[in-house]
Amino acid sequence: MDEKFEIWAMDYMSGNLSESEAKEFEFFLEGHGEYREKYDDLLKAWELLQAIQTPEPSESMDEAFFTMLSSEMEKKEDKAPKQSVISMLSGILRPQWAIGIFLLMIGLGVGYFFRPEVEPIPTQIMAANNETEEVRQKLVLTLLDQPSANQRLQGVSEANKFENADDIVIRALLKTLNSDPNVNVRLAAIESLTNYVDKPEVRQGLVQSIPNQESPILQITLANLMVALQEKASIEPFKQLLKQKQLDTTVKKRIERSIESII
Amino acid sequence: MQTLTDNVLMLKVKSGDLDKLGLLYERHKKRLFGFFYNMGNNPSISEDLVQNVFVRILKYRHSFTGEGPFTAWMFSMARNVGNDHYKKISREGVSRGIAPEQVDKGTGDYLNETMDQEGNAQMLTKALGLLPSEKREILLLSKYRELKFQEIGEILGCSEGAAKVRVHRALKDLKTIFLQLETR
Repeated sequence: MDEKFEIWAMDYMSGNLSESEAKEFEFFLEGHGEYREKYDDLLKAWELLQAIQTPEPSESMDEAFFTMLSSEMEKKEDKAPKQSVISMLSGILRPQWAIGIFLLMIGLGVGYFFRPEVEPIPTQIMAANNETEEVRQKLVLTLLDQPSANQRLQGVSEANKFENADDIVIRALLKTLNSDPNVNVRLAAIESLTNYVDKPEVRQGLVQSIPNQESPILQITLANLMVALQEKASIEPFKQLLKQKQLDTTVKKRIERSIESII
Repeated sequence: MQTLTDNVLMLKVKSGDLDKLGLLYERHKKRLFGFFYNMGNNPSISEDLVQNVFVRILKYRHSFTGEGPFTAWMFSMARNVGNDHYKKISREGVSRGIAPEQVDKGTGDYLNETMDQEGNAQMLTKALGLLPSEKREILLLSKYRELKFQEIGEILGCSEGAAKVRVHRALKDLKTIFLQLETR
């Protein structure tokens, strides 16, 4: 009974009972004097407990707490920026990426839908290529026959555009190299012919043109080319060239060096 | 006016809004200080222990579920902080800090009512100090009436009924000691 009363009394005192339950407890106390006394003692003890005084904490406690709190917040902020930058970037980029990808898809779809119905036919391309080559061949030959050095230069540069020049063009270029009155055109012809040095007739034509060259720049260019090609057939024409009295001394030395390096 | 309940504030702290802990501190600092002080610690140590409670709250903020009231959770922390402190001082052989009021000044000669009242307050604190610590603890937990017996039971690891019985008996013991001191 004592434990039951203890619980009951605590419930009554702390206001945990309903109105009817409280009345029941009060009725019980009225009928039991010793429990009435016990309850009164309990109430006095509770009042004593409430009367216990506590001094106020000092301000230094507040200071210590808020110092601790602010340092914790700083620590957290130090970690935070990485996250915020990432989230900020993703926040900015995400919709833009979505829109970008969406527009790209639309673009691809529209492009595919409106694509030109071109089925490349190889024979047509080859025919077109052949046609172009023929036109270019005529153009080169025509230009090389022009009286203007400028146009003949243009003809040589057109000849460079051939993927594989035929014999007619090569012959025209060799003729230019040997007989063109303009040094620049002849120089350009040499450069153009170096594209076809793997053809024997080109090498032969270049060697044969050596004695015909009077310009020092052409003589040196040919000498350099022959050294690069290691063309032994060029030694004899160079020796003939060395016999000429009016040969430039620089050219002479150069040709001599070339002959040595070819041998 | 407390528009934000303790639980809402603590959940905000949990989610990273640390400055809300300042509000919780302001609401509960006196209660916690009183708890440690009346458990027999001197004011300076009591203040340190309050600080430790909030450090622990921050450290373990992720364990707050918001299911029970914040005060029950906070007092569980306080109890652990107190126990750690007692273990530490008993290991170090340091005597417990005695609150100034607990020191018997030995005057015993009360000439007027005011002095008598002060004497009563001192005697009451002394009576509390003479109670075994577990009884003192349960009285202090029930003193503020914010905790229900069920929550006190949870903090102390006993049933609601057992908590009521323990509070009842501790109150009885407090009164007995107080009367003994009074009649001395």
